[in-house]
Formats: sequence, structure tokens, C-alpha cells
Amino acid sequence: MAQESSIRSRGPIAAHPVTSAVIAILVIAAIFFSLYVPLYARATPKVGDFPFFYFYLIIYMPVVGIVLWIVITLQKRLEPSPGPSGGPDGPAAASGGASEVTR
Amino acid sequence: MSNVNYVTFTIVVVLFLLVTLTGFAAARWRRADDMMHLNEWGLGGRSFGTFVAWFLLGGDLYTAYTFIAVPAAVFGAGAVTGFFAVSYTIMVFPIALIFLPRLWSIARTHNYITPADFVRGRYGSRGLSLATAFTGILALMPYIALQLVGIQAVLTVMGVGTSSTNTYVKDLPLFIAFGVLAIYTYVSGLRAPALTAFVKDILVYVMVIVAVFYIPTRIGGWGHIFAAGQAHMKAISPVTHKPNGVFIPTTGNSQLAFSTLALGSALALMVYPHSVTGVLSTKRRDIIKRNMALLPIYSVMLAFVALLGYMALADKATVASVKKAGGNAQLAVPYLFQHMFPSWFTGVAFSAIVIGALVPAAIMAIASANLFTRNIFKEFFKPDASPRLETQVSRWASLVVKLGALAFAVYLPRTFSINLQLLGGIWILQVFPSIVFGLFTRWFHRWALLAGWLAGMVFGTIAAYKVATPTTSHWAGSVDIEFGHTVYIGLTAIVLNIAIAVILTLIFKAARVPEGADETLPQQYTADPTDAPAPVPATVGRQ
Repeated sequence: MAQESSIRSRGPIAAHPVTSAVIAILVIAAIFFSLYVPLYARATPKVGDFPFFYFYLIIYMPVVGIVLWIVITLQKRLEPSPGPSGGPDGPAAASGGASEVTR
Repeated sequence: MSNVNYVTFTIVVVLFLLVTLTGFAAARWRRADDMMHLNEWGLGGRSFGTFVAWFLLGGDLYTAYTFIAVPAAVFGAGAVTGFFAVSYTIMVFPIALIFLPRLWSIARTHNYITPADFVRGRYGSRGLSLATAFTGILALMPYIALQLVGIQAVLTVMGVGTSSTNTYVKDLPLFIAFGVLAIYTYVSGLRAPALTAFVKDILVYVMVIVAVFYIPTRIGGWGHIFAAGQAHMKAISPVTHKPNGVFIPTTGNSQLAFSTLALGSALALMVYPHSVTGVLSTKRRDIIKRNMALLPIYSVMLAFVALLGYMALADKATVASVKKAGGNAQLAVPYLFQHMFPSWFTGVAFSAIVIGALVPAAIMAIASANLFTRNIFKEFFKPDASPRLETQVSRWASLVVKLGALAFAVYLPRTFSINLQLLGGIWILQVFPSIVFGLFTRWFHRWALLAGWLAGMVFGTIAAYKVATPTTSHWAGSVDIEFGHTVYIGLTAIVLNIAIAVILTLIFKAARVPEGADETLPQQYTADPTDAPAPVPATVGRQ
């Protein structure tokens, strides 16, 4: 089932490998740089009166907004007009064997 | 009501009346031909654009409990159990961007109204769908109750209704507020919270911006605020003989607790039924995507709301008031406002919190009502229910849900509601595999998912029950120690859940256990139907 569906969904990702990779990297990075605490759990350098830890998380918010905006803009490029949306999720990635189960 | 500040009180009452009027007027907003349809009452006609959806989702996800409990946790214990919420609301958007558009498309194509509708259609399993609906209702009830706890915190500080020993008199303002909310939700459905969310968000923004710029000037600047926070976290608690909390998580265990709490909560948020309700009420697929990029603006505000906890620590009068009230950290922010602001602005800030409770409470009640109607009433009792009957049942169910939540808030000890909310987060995570994995693959076997769900629920509940501190014997927190590491229980439970689902899927497939029918097609997960769905709701599963 799994192989069958991956062949079926090759479409947009294969057509735009670079864009797809950039999208995947951006989304993963957006999660990782918040998830991996040792990266920013420090008091210094202080920014104004804010310890670095607190400054980092506050400034991260608008950054993640901008990154996701870039992602959805890139996703539009992935899909020819009203077609399927691509993205790190992989368009129709899997949905494995849907049709045969319906039998 | 001897120590009530009447300026504050009047402002709160006036703004509450404004919201009530808005709630009733919402019934006429974007009015559809036939309101007696669950797509209308329960999903606002599936018609909201980017702008309305931003307010609705913002009003939905950032609850009064957030405004009270997150700073309260920062006030009490600092970064790990409090400020993790900021990391959590960062991660929730990239994670949601991966799967929410697919959920929107499949729900739009098949006219699904609840997440359990999707599970029913995808796996052809009434059991798994019932488990999803049951978990959703179970997790939402204490969540709604906690909105009331938020209102209670404000009312207590305002001095309203605290003098009487009679429960009904004491909580009369709460009954009135909730009664009014119940009636306009009954009448207007999802349109009511969507429209009142505008009032809420504007008030909340004004409150936060003023608090962030004004309060530091009163109490010696940000440097002093952070110093007060750091000093309090470092101080040794006389009860536990350990530091009060963590100012910056520098040890491995505190970092792991911080990130697993953030990740677990981020995964849970978007499978909560009220989030799904908000998401499905939008008009087009790209509106969901855009909002994932726009909602972080809301989260910036959350970060500053969290820091109100340190501001409260930096203000001696607030610390003294909280101590006098029995050390209830939930009162920290209301007291801070009362001590810092002139009484009229305290009224504005308090209204923001009260109204901030009403909006999500309405959406949660609607989401629970829809789950009950679609996945319990229609599925098991009246498969041929007409859209009209469905809507009527949902309306009444929303009243019952609110009444239940009210009973929760009034009769059960407050700590009990908070524990249940903590459990709610762990529970709702257990439906994540069925919903989110189901959006990408049909590999998992329906019964394996059900078994995994059960294991996760049981493990999570027991593990949370066993958490103890020197002051509380049970339900003392949401992290425990697994293999020597401090980890969020919800995350441990979902790992167990997934492991069992994988193993049993392999076994069931080998044994050729029937997989159930799947009514969805791969291309439907990325579809963007432009026209409104047919007026007849899909009969989920077989006809």
C-alpha cells in the first residue's frame, strides 16, 4: 500500500525538488529552534533588561510568523493553480491504499 | 459587597452588556436562509474569511485560563511550568500548518462537522469515532469549567459576591454571566463567539499593551521585574526545601521538562474539538494557512501576559495580597491590575479577562454539543435525524454542557478542575494518532488505534494521579520521571499509544482482521471546494 501511494503522489514534489526541500527545512527549523532549549537557555547576552532566554522566545514569535508566511507563499508556487497543495506534508503523502480498502 | 469599587464594577457591567448585545445581534450577522442546520449553528455557515477567522481562532485558543493560569504559573514557579507556554505557542503553528489544511479539505469535501466525523469516515469504525467524541467531550468539560475559574478569580478580587456563605448567592454573578452566555449561544450558535471575539480581542490587546508599557514604569523597570523573578525562583521554599522554581532552565532535566511540555501541548492544542470547530468554520483552505502565519502575532501578546507573573512578584503590595488570600497564585494578575491601574482601567482589564472567558467557553460548548449530536446521538440513537433535529439537539446539548461545567466550577474544589484540565491535555493527545496520522495514511488498523488510545488514556491518568509533591499527595503536576528523565506525561502516554498502535496493526494485518471501509479519497485531502457544501450533511460512514 505504502509504495503504491508514494508513486501516486510524486507529482508536485518531484516537479519542484528545491522548493519542496526549502519548505521542509523551514518548517522543521521553525519547530527545532524552539524545541531545542539548550540553544537559548542562557541569561546572557542581555538585550536591554531582558535575559537572553526571554528575549529569544519573545522575538521568535514574529519570526515564526514570517517564516510560515514564506512557507505558504512557496507552497503556492508548488501547486499549479487550484491544484493540490504541497508542503512538507507531501501532497497526498500516503493516504495509503485508500481505494483498495474501500473495495 | 462592602469593598467593591463601583467604578470598576460599573465598567465591567457595561462592557458585559455590550458583549451580550453583540452576542444576540450575531444571530442576524451573515444570516443564512436556513439557520436550523448544523453547518450554520455549529460552524457559522463555514463562511469566515481570514480576518474573522483570525479573531475567532485567537479568541478560541487564548482563553481566560491562559490570561490567569499562565502568569500564575510564572508567578509561582517560573519558566518550566509557566513560560513553556510561549515555546508551545511557537511550535503549535508550524505543526498545525502540516496537518490542518488537510483536515480542512477532507472535512469540507465530506461535510464533516467534528473530528470524530472524520475518524468515522476514514476508518469506518463506530468504536474509534465514539472514543474520539468521548475523549473530546471529557477533555472540554473541565476546560470550560476553568474559564469560570478565571471569571471567579476576577470576581473575587473585585469583591463581588464573596461575603455570603451561601453557594448560590456567592456565585450569583457567575450564574448570571454564564446564563446569559448560554442563551445567546443557543440563539446565535458559532456566530456569537465569532462576533464577540472582536470585542474580546480589542479589550485584551488594550489591556496587554497598557500593562506592558505602564506597569514597568511603576515598579522600577524591566530590570527590576526580572531580578524579582529570579530572586523568587532561587529562594528556598519553606515547605519543599527546594528552590521555588526555575528562572532559566539550565539543567538537563528542567530543559527536557520544558520542551516536552511545550511539544506535547502544541500537539494537543489543534486536536481539541473547539480548535477544529474554529478551523472548519473558515471559507477556504488558504485561510487556515494564512492564519497559521498570522496568529503568532497573538502569541507575542501571550509572552507578555506570561511576564505579568514576574511583574506581580516585583510588586510588594500584590505579593502581600496574594499571600493574604491564602497564597492563591491565580489571583496574582487581578491583584496586580487592581494595585497598578486607576479603577476605571482596572474595569477594562477585568472585562477583558471575563469576556476572554466567555468566547472560548461558547466555542467549547458548541464543539462538545456537535460531538454529542453527530457522533453519539445520530450515530447510536437516531441515524435518520434531520438537519433540523440535529441542530435542535446540539442547541440543547450546548446548554447541558454549560450547566455541567458550571456544576464543576461551583461544587468541585478549584484544584480539582485544574487537575482535570491537566488531565484533559493528556487525554486529548491520545486521539492525535487517529486524527492526524489518519490524515496522511490509512496504514494503521482501526482496532490497533483504539487499543493504543485506551492504553494512553489509562497510563496517562494513572501517571498523573501518582505525581506528588511535599504539599499534595496526588495530581501535583503534569511531568513525571521516566527512565531517569523528567518528561511531560502526555508525551510519554502518546509514545506508548503509538507503539501499541504500530505493533497491533502489524498483528491485525497479519491476521487479516477486517480493516473497515474508507470513504475518503487521496485527492480529497488537498481539495479546495470553492462552493459551499451541499445543504445535507454527510451521513458519516455507510448510508
